[in-house]
Amino acid sequence: MSNTVSELCAPAHPWPSLVPKSGMILFMLLLLVLLFMLDIALGSVSIPLKSIVAILFGSDQEPVAWEKIVTTIRLPKAITAVIAGAALSVSGLQMQTLFRNPLAGPSVLGISAGASLGVAVVMLASGGAANAFAIRQLGIGGSWLLVLAATAGAMAVLLIVLAVAVRIKDNVVLLIVGIMVGNITTSLISVWQYFSAPEQIQDYLIWTFGSLGGVFGSQLVVLSVVVGVGLLISFAASKPLNVMLLGESYARSLGMGTFSIRLFVILATSLLAGSVTGFCGPIGFIGIAVPHMVRSILNTSDHRFLMPSATLMGAILMLVCDVIAQMPGAQTTLPINAVTALVGSPVVIWVIIRQRNLKSSFA
Amino acid sequence: MNDSMIQTRNLAIGYRLRQREFIAWRKPSHPASTVVAGSIDLDLAPGELVCLLGPNGSGKSTLMRTLAGVQQPLSGSVLLKGHNMAGLHPKETAKLLSLVLTDRVMTGNMSVYALVALGRYPYTGWMGTLSDADEDMVRRAIETTGTRAFAHRHIGDLSDGERQKVMIARAIAQDTPVILLDEPTAHLDLPNRLEIISLLKRLAREEGKAVVLSTHELDLALQASDRIWLMKRSGGRVCSIVTAIPESLVLEGHLEKAFSRNGFEFDQHSGSFRFRHEGSSQVGLLGDGVTAYWTRRALERAGCRVVQGASNIRHVEISGDESRDMQWRFFPGENGEPVVTGSLDELLRAVVRSSKEEEVS
Repeated sequence: MSNTVSELCAPAHPWPSLVPKSGMILFMLLLLVLLFMLDIALGSVSIPLKSIVAILFGSDQEPVAWEKIVTTIRLPKAITAVIAGAALSVSGLQMQTLFRNPLAGPSVLGISAGASLGVAVVMLASGGAANAFAIRQLGIGGSWLLVLAATAGAMAVLLIVLAVAVRIKDNVVLLIVGIMVGNITTSLISVWQYFSAPEQIQDYLIWTFGSLGGVFGSQLVVLSVVVGVGLLISFAASKPLNVMLLGESYARSLGMGTFSIRLFVILATSLLAGSVTGFCGPIGFIGIAVPHMVRSILNTSDHRFLMPSATLMGAILMLVCDVIAQMPGAQTTLPINAVTALVGSPVVIWVIIRQRNLKSSFA
Repeated sequence: MNDSMIQTRNLAIGYRLRQREFIAWRKPSHPASTVVAGSIDLDLAPGELVCLLGPNGSGKSTLMRTLAGVQQPLSGSVLLKGHNMAGLHPKETAKLLSLVLTDRVMTGNMSVYALVALGRYPYTGWMGTLSDADEDMVRRAIETTGTRAFAHRHIGDLSDGERQKVMIARAIAQDTPVILLDEPTAHLDLPNRLEIISLLKRLAREEGKAVVLSTHELDLALQASDRIWLMKRSGGRVCSIVTAIPESLVLEGHLEKAFSRNGFEFDQHSGSFRFRHEGSSQVGLLGDGVTAYWTRRALERAGCRVVQGASNIRHVEISGDESRDMQWRFFPGENGEPVVTGSLDELLRAVVRSSKEEEVS
């Protein structure tokens, strides 16, 4: 009798839902729009927010100088920040799932180093006077070259790591291999630097600081298209990635072609991390930090929700970093790479401490 | 036997050598493959619970992987519900056969419900959206395994026993006529082991699923399985397989042969292995019932050879019973006073002392 009564009352354990609360995503969207505006509003020339909104909506009542600053400098930079943040986060999310390792990310596994090598090779091949900015001056052909080199470099490193992954099932070993391959790549760059002229090295060093401000016009189109394709592939891989969380044996027993999925994920990651690294330099920490943030916030492991929220959160965090980079307010801005590490590292620490079972639940 | 869920004829399992795969133009100097077990003829009927037994290294895991289609057979073929497995698309195999592995599933933030829902992977569309029917199947799997109480919890927060039940729920949600489980009771305590086995038995009985599990739990396998597949070495390095119902395996001495080692003996009465106590000194035991059984066990553990009913040598007499006045009286032979104790512990010490004195003299 008591059984039936308790059954008639509210069920003791309501079925959990697979869909996380949508409020968080709406909140992130709102935050993204606000930060986007803020990012454009900040800079060495102060322009009131009202005018910025007016300019963005196509008004020609505002001063021409302001309009010029907003449309040719600040808007492209903000868009680049959004694209770079989204791309790095989504590629980091996929890396962490593919390698089933919470520390995986484009920068740790040597993917960024590979992209850097690609860029270095292009700079080297284009002769003594060439530098990153010169290549950017080449216009659309040059951008493609840079992106191609960076993507190819990223993909080469990832393929090496994956070739090892086929034989070695141990995640820690794989991670060490990835880091070592990254080291080798970095040392190749060092060798090249040693034999290069000081001006070339300086250009390369400036490139490694990372910059969101150098992507304009057709280059921005190139970046958007490449990242767009990468994101499309990533989003389409959501369902298989969910199964990948169970490990390769389970994935195969569920009828998933693990080889092709690995290939698609590697392609997407190389496109995302490679192109962003090519245009903006090696930007660290966003790729590691954001996936942990969204997993924590949404409390889910479902990539169908993690992918879009990582896209949003990555864009948000990158805009925050860019805003911080401009905070000094003066004529200079901080290098974006330094800021992402400053912001990203505490986030990683916070996540690890908050999620005490991180190791048992992921690595 | 066309209703077999899994059928193998003259199957040989093992490993192909890498050399041949990678350097095809060079004639292999070694044999092309290492056969672990050969001449395997198996038939798995629906509604049957089969335990795969065998000593370590006899190829249990290799056979499991081959049956699951993860590994290619060296020769012969595996028929899965009448279809040759080699010709089946992985998606079709996934609808016929599900796996529960020993791999620890490490998942950031995955809830039990989400994990069980992944069992529907072969049935859902490209985005993996669950239909109402899918969701029903997931819920039923959770109810069947009794995991509803923690359906919302994260996999990382579960105990080993709970996690194993969840993994089985995932296999049930996959809705396949065959379920293969690789050592599902490893790392579990006895109540959990029994619970898992009875759950699997229920699946076989009530849902008509064919369930194969590999295990090291001899006594559980003997009690629960409808049929045992026993891997054993038959001279040389290649193993063969014996299939029979558990009772005839014991009676025909197959189990004893498969697992025999020095220092252990197989007790055909209880169907379990135990230490062979090579007692040097004899002790008689007068008494019966449960007390006598455990007294005998204690004496054997202390290194005595127990002779039931002998009172002409040094011996132990049990008086009273489990409910009241239980006493052990130890008569250490002609040159000693009888020792009366109220606890088995004291008795054992007295016996050991007397054994030592005997050795000295």
